[in-house]
Amino acid sequence: MLPPDLVAGCKQHRVLLAIAFLVVFPLLMPFKAIAVNILIYGLFALGFNMLFGTLGLLSFGHAALFGGGAYACGLAMLRLGLPWWAAILCAVVAGMALAASIGAFAIRTRGIYFAMVTLALAQCVYFIFYQWVSLTGGENGLRGITLTDIDLGPIHLNFVDPLTRYYVVAFWVALALIVLSRILASPFGAAMEAVRENEARARACGYDVRATRYLAFILSGGFCGLAGALQALHLSIVPIETLFYTTSGLVVMMALLGGMGTFFGPFVGAGVFLLLENLVSLWTVHWQIFVGASFIACVLFFPRGIWGTILLGRAR
Amino acid sequence: MDGLTPDLLVLQLFTGLALGAIYVLLALGMSLLFGMLTVVNFAHGAFYMLGAYAGLVLLGMGFNFWACLIIAPIIVGSLGMLCERFLIRHLYGRGIDYPLLLTFGLSYVLVELVRIFFGTSGYPVDTPDILQGASDIWIGYFPTYRLFVIGVAVVVLTALWLFLERTPYGLIIRAGARDPQIVRILGIDVARVWLVVFGIGTGLAALAGLLAAPLQGTSPEMGSTILAESFVVTVVGGMGSLVGAVVAGLLVGVVVAMTSLFAPEMAQVAIFALMAVVLLVRPQGFFGRAGLMS
Amino acid sequence: MSEIILSTEAVGKSFGKFRALSAITASFPKGKLTSIIGPNGAGKSTFFNLLSGSLVPSEGRVIFEGRDITGTPQHRFAALGIAKSFQITTVFPLLSVHENVRVALQALVSRYQIWRPRTALPELAERADALLATVGLTDRRTRPAGSLAHGEQRALEIAMALASQPRLLLLDEPTAGMSPEETRSMMDLILKLAAERTVILVEHKMKLVMGISDRLLVLHHGELLAEGTPDDIRANDTVKRVYLGQREH
Repeated sequence: MLPPDLVAGCKQHRVLLAIAFLVVFPLLMPFKAIAVNILIYGLFALGFNMLFGTLGLLSFGHAALFGGGAYACGLAMLRLGLPWWAAILCAVVAGMALAASIGAFAIRTRGIYFAMVTLALAQCVYFIFYQWVSLTGGENGLRGITLTDIDLGPIHLNFVDPLTRYYVVAFWVALALIVLSRILASPFGAAMEAVRENEARARACGYDVRATRYLAFILSGGFCGLAGALQALHLSIVPIETLFYTTSGLVVMMALLGGMGTFFGPFVGAGVFLLLENLVSLWTVHWQIFVGASFIACVLFFPRGIWGTILLGRAR
Repeated sequence: MDGLTPDLLVLQLFTGLALGAIYVLLALGMSLLFGMLTVVNFAHGAFYMLGAYAGLVLLGMGFNFWACLIIAPIIVGSLGMLCERFLIRHLYGRGIDYPLLLTFGLSYVLVELVRIFFGTSGYPVDTPDILQGASDIWIGYFPTYRLFVIGVAVVVLTALWLFLERTPYGLIIRAGARDPQIVRILGIDVARVWLVVFGIGTGLAALAGLLAAPLQGTSPEMGSTILAESFVVTVVGGMGSLVGAVVAGLLVGVVVAMTSLFAPEMAQVAIFALMAVVLLVRPQGFFGRAGLMS
Repeated sequence: MSEIILSTEAVGKSFGKFRALSAITASFPKGKLTSIIGPNGAGKSTFFNLLSGSLVPSEGRVIFEGRDITGTPQHRFAALGIAKSFQITTVFPLLSVHENVRVALQALVSRYQIWRPRTALPELAERADALLATVGLTDRRTRPAGSLAHGEQRALEIAMALASQPRLLLLDEPTAGMSPEETRSMMDLILKLAAERTVILVEHKMKLVMGISDRLLVLHHGELLAEGTPDDIRANDTVKRVYLGQREH
């Protein structure tokens, strides 16, 4: 457990600290590709945690938002011929639109029903993309998303170079962090906290609980859509499995592993998860068993997650 | 659609009922766990898959199919009880999300264990000789095995109903579902009731998996798609309602079968469309208590 | 007869076959403190929940300031000018005492702004401090609300209810579970609040409210047994029989 003063101090400047970390992070990592993955999944987990950590809503449908963003980015480039940055913006909009449609049904339910219904609706999205072969490539995934050169006026960037790629992705992630941090600090952020802490009281105060949740779900969709777009650019392909509910499970695990009650926890969780996956998969193909087992251990013994435990101690 | 006769429709209806019977068994287990323990079992699909593999192993050891139908659910149910006793029990009263998350992690472990011991590719499972071929059901020939699946579901349903309604143990379970405190006051070991319920719920999932095995073969991932479908059944029927699980299970089965007749590629999507409609019109599901969902 | 702020026209509530409350017609004069009393199970809480919008009546109407508010969603009540405290204490336990009140104040000004920092609404913070002073919690302002003593949490709840500057304040057993000392200071607070607005109070301890109420409604078995001034109620034989008599056993 860290001294509370230090925690409070860091909290004030958390976005600056995070950006500083993003700048030095690749220099600490032996494999840049993993660093990029950690950024992408970290952002995905942050977007997910905006619902779970801030609002207490457990969604098992975030694969649709992440995967939807990835497909939107790829389709915008391949079918519409849009430039990469415009495709990313399309993905953000697509993530929000998908969240709006899934949310329109799911927000009527609560708690575990919400988890079940979001999972089912996201599976519906999966099957639609799976069947719509002419648009999405179906089972084979969406292939051929290529981004090699980035021209920013006089500056020319080579996206194939791992370090350059990292910093391009990091730029978007930093942008998202700033936006997310502003949302959490806004009056709406306060409304989300109120709804999480006590629904009945929030309602009596005058907050429309359902509308608050709905808006949060849509915003969360935007972040996840962005993460999906970055993933599509990074991999040059969108595998159909991106939309399968195991992707939702993955992000739930990451958030829980890192600590869902904290701002950076999900990011830490994504990092630890991906590093572990990489290490374990070096000596066994059955790395998922360790993933499952460490997840069980986390639920049983460290419900606050790694980051949460560092910040707040173990007891709950 | 020249070939579309009323007879064909009725046959397809039966196909739907057979599929529905499997959904019913899955959803019954899920509803039982939710109604009694307020646990949403995300490992339900994994137990379904384990049922099929348990059957596979037993058949390989020389047991006949009939024995497998009894033994496999008992084995898997016992495993379910172990999971309840050593993992899930610690989470009661700690919020409804935790058992859900734990069982999700558990499903990873179970699926990966099966991959380790049985490999990643699946196996076909033979239909027992006596159930091969088709039977004449007046309007046409219908695969005997599918009729058998419907029959098993009917028998299990009747047995479960008798157990819950007519035996002292069933009474305790129903009382425990309504108010664990009362059962405790009566001096009954609630923990043991929960354990048994968990065993029954996972055993039912295993039976469903075993019954599905001759129809679709086995694979470590066979439980993952069906998990989402059994959620749909549970939500449509109403969480925690056993009658709801039966009605919704059959309905979903029929909807899938009928959609595949007209637009096979839409069959999967139709399930979720059904759920969306139910959520809009009756958010608590067919037999769910109003207000439970919102 | 003074102006009526809230009235009910034959409101009733059934849960399945159980009839919790049957056709109650009552009115609450503006600026007065009215208490709803009755033995446990009389339907007080159901009636309270119908008035405060937590439950939608099975029949009948609720009229507030001449407007039919039957079935209005709960979150609109604050803007209408009705605030309430719950029977079970409900605060935002992990937020600071000050933030609890600030959030309550914010609900009427800004619910969906996502880009401005919440500190850009400094007047809310000041008004929160003023409300905390009203209920005597100034020295607790930075503590998490969940760590307060029971009586303090109830006081905080009232501060949050006052945030919407309600013309009608509904309190459900505000002294439940309180020590005699806490009860006394809560009663003082209620009297202070009642001087400026209409208050409706649900209470099953009759003695507690006899002295402070302007009017009383007595419920029994889901029906309105009597209504009137404390003196009327004291003199009412039926009330004595079913309510006072019961207490003596």
